[in-house]
Amino acid sequence: MKKLAQFEFPPELVPDFEKAKRLEWITIAYFISSALVIFLAMGNSQTMKTAWYDDVLSLTPPIAFQVASRVFMKAPNKQFPYGYHRVANIAYLCSAVALFALGAFLVIDSTLSLVKTEHPTIGTVIVGGHQIWLGYLMIAALLWSTIPSVILGRKKLPLAKHLHEKNLYTDADMNKADWMSGIAAMLGIVGIGLGWWWADSAAALLISVDIVHDGFTSLKQAVFDLMDQIPKTVATEQPDPLLEQVRETLAGQSWVKDFSFRMRECGHIYLGEGFVVPAQEENLIQHIANTAQTIEQLNWRIQEFVITPVPELPDDESA
Amino acid sequence: MPDCSLSKLSASVVLLAWALLLSACSDFPKDPAKTLKKVENGTLVVGYSENPPWVVQGSPEPTGIEPALVKAFAQTLHARVQWRKGTEQTLFEDLEKRKIDLLIAGLTDESPWKNEKAGFTRPFVEHRKKKHVMATIQGENAFVVRLEEFLYQREAAIAQRTQP
Repeated sequence: MKKLAQFEFPPELVPDFEKAKRLEWITIAYFISSALVIFLAMGNSQTMKTAWYDDVLSLTPPIAFQVASRVFMKAPNKQFPYGYHRVANIAYLCSAVALFALGAFLVIDSTLSLVKTEHPTIGTVIVGGHQIWLGYLMIAALLWSTIPSVILGRKKLPLAKHLHEKNLYTDADMNKADWMSGIAAMLGIVGIGLGWWWADSAAALLISVDIVHDGFTSLKQAVFDLMDQIPKTVATEQPDPLLEQVRETLAGQSWVKDFSFRMRECGHIYLGEGFVVPAQEENLIQHIANTAQTIEQLNWRIQEFVITPVPELPDDESA
Repeated sequence: MPDCSLSKLSASVVLLAWALLLSACSDFPKDPAKTLKKVENGTLVVGYSENPPWVVQGSPEPTGIEPALVKAFAQTLHARVQWRKGTEQTLFEDLEKRKIDLLIAGLTDESPWKNEKAGFTRPFVEHRKKKHVMATIQGENAFVVRLEEFLYQREAAIAQRTQP
C-alpha cells in the first residue's frame, strides 16, 4: 500500500492556494465591516435586515475555508489512513447548509411582512449636524456591501477552478452575484422613498429567493460529493474529463483484456479503483504498478488509483 | 456560458441612477397614504393620553410640552389641530386604522408599543435617561421626516424646558 500524498496541492498550485487564503482573509474582514455598516443604517427596513443577514452569512464560506485549509494539509496517520482531504467536503456542506437555511428563513420573513402589509417607517438621522433621510445612508451602506464584494468574487473564481475548491467557488460565485441583490436592495429603498411601501419587502423577497437557489444547488452538490458521486468539474458540475482519460489509459494497455473502474472525490483530490481482467499473467505485478503510476500522473488530482486483478467482471460492469 | 452579467450590470446601474435622480426631487421620501398632503392646509388629528408633564389634561385642549410642540408644528403646516383623548391602547389602535395622524403620550423609545403597527419619530429629547418620541402612522415617511425636521430645530428649546 502506498501512503497517500501528504501535500494537498502540487508545488505549481501553492502560490494560488496562498493567494486564495489571503483573499479569504480579506473577505472575512470586509464582510465584518460591511455587516457593521449595514447594521448601523438598518432602521426598520426589511431589505436592510435581509442584506445584513446576507453579509453575516457570507462569512461562512471564507471561515469554513480557513478552518478547512488548516486541516487538509495534515499527513495521513494511523487514525486517519485516508488523510484529511474530506474536510474540504465538510466545509462545503457547512457553507451550503448555512446558505440554504438562511435563504429559506428570509423568504418566509419577507413574505410575512408583505402579507401583514407592514409599511417600513424610515425617518431621519443627524450626520455631522445635518439632518438627512436615513434611506440615503442605507443606499451608501449598500454600495459598500456590494462593490468590493463583486471585485473579490471575480478575483477568487479562477483560483477556485485551479485548486478544484468547491467551497471557494461557491463563495466567489456568491460574491460576484452580490451586485444583483445589492441593486435590488437599493431599488427597494428608493421604492420606499417613492411611496411604495411594498418595494422594500418585495426586494428582500427577491434577494432571498436568489439565496435559496444558490443554497439548494450547493447543498445538493455537497451531499452528492459526500455520497461518492463521480468527480464533477467545479464550475459546470459536469463529469470530469479526467474520467475519460483514465478510461483511455486503461483501454490502451496491452496486458488488459477487460476492465472497469470507479472514482470518487475526496476534497480536492480523486481516489479510484480499477478492476482488471489481465490478458496474460506474466509480469502482472509490474504491469499493475506501471499502469497505476501512469494514471496517477495524468493529473495532480488523481492521488491514488488502486488496480486489482480479477478473473472476470460482473456482467453489467464491463467497460 | 457567455458572460452577459456585464451588460446586465450596466443596465441596472442606469436604472439605479435614474431612480436616484428621481429621488433628488423635492418631495422625497413620499407617503404611501399621502398623510402630509392631507394635513397641509387641512386638519391634523392628534390622539393624546395624559402623562404629565409631557401631556397634561386641560380644557378644552391638552397642555404640556408635547401639545405645545404639536400646535407649533401644525402652524408650520397651516393646519388646524383636532384633539382626541384616549388610552394608549385605543390610540395605537386608532393609529393603525389611520383614524389619527399623530399620537402623543409622553412615549419613550422603550415603549412596549414599539413593535405595533406604528412609526416612531427619532427621539427629540432625553430626560432622565429616557428618550422621548412621538408615534405616527406606520410608513408615512414624508410626514415623519417633516415632523422630525421640526422637532430637531426645536431640540435646544425643548431640552431647556424639560430641565429640572
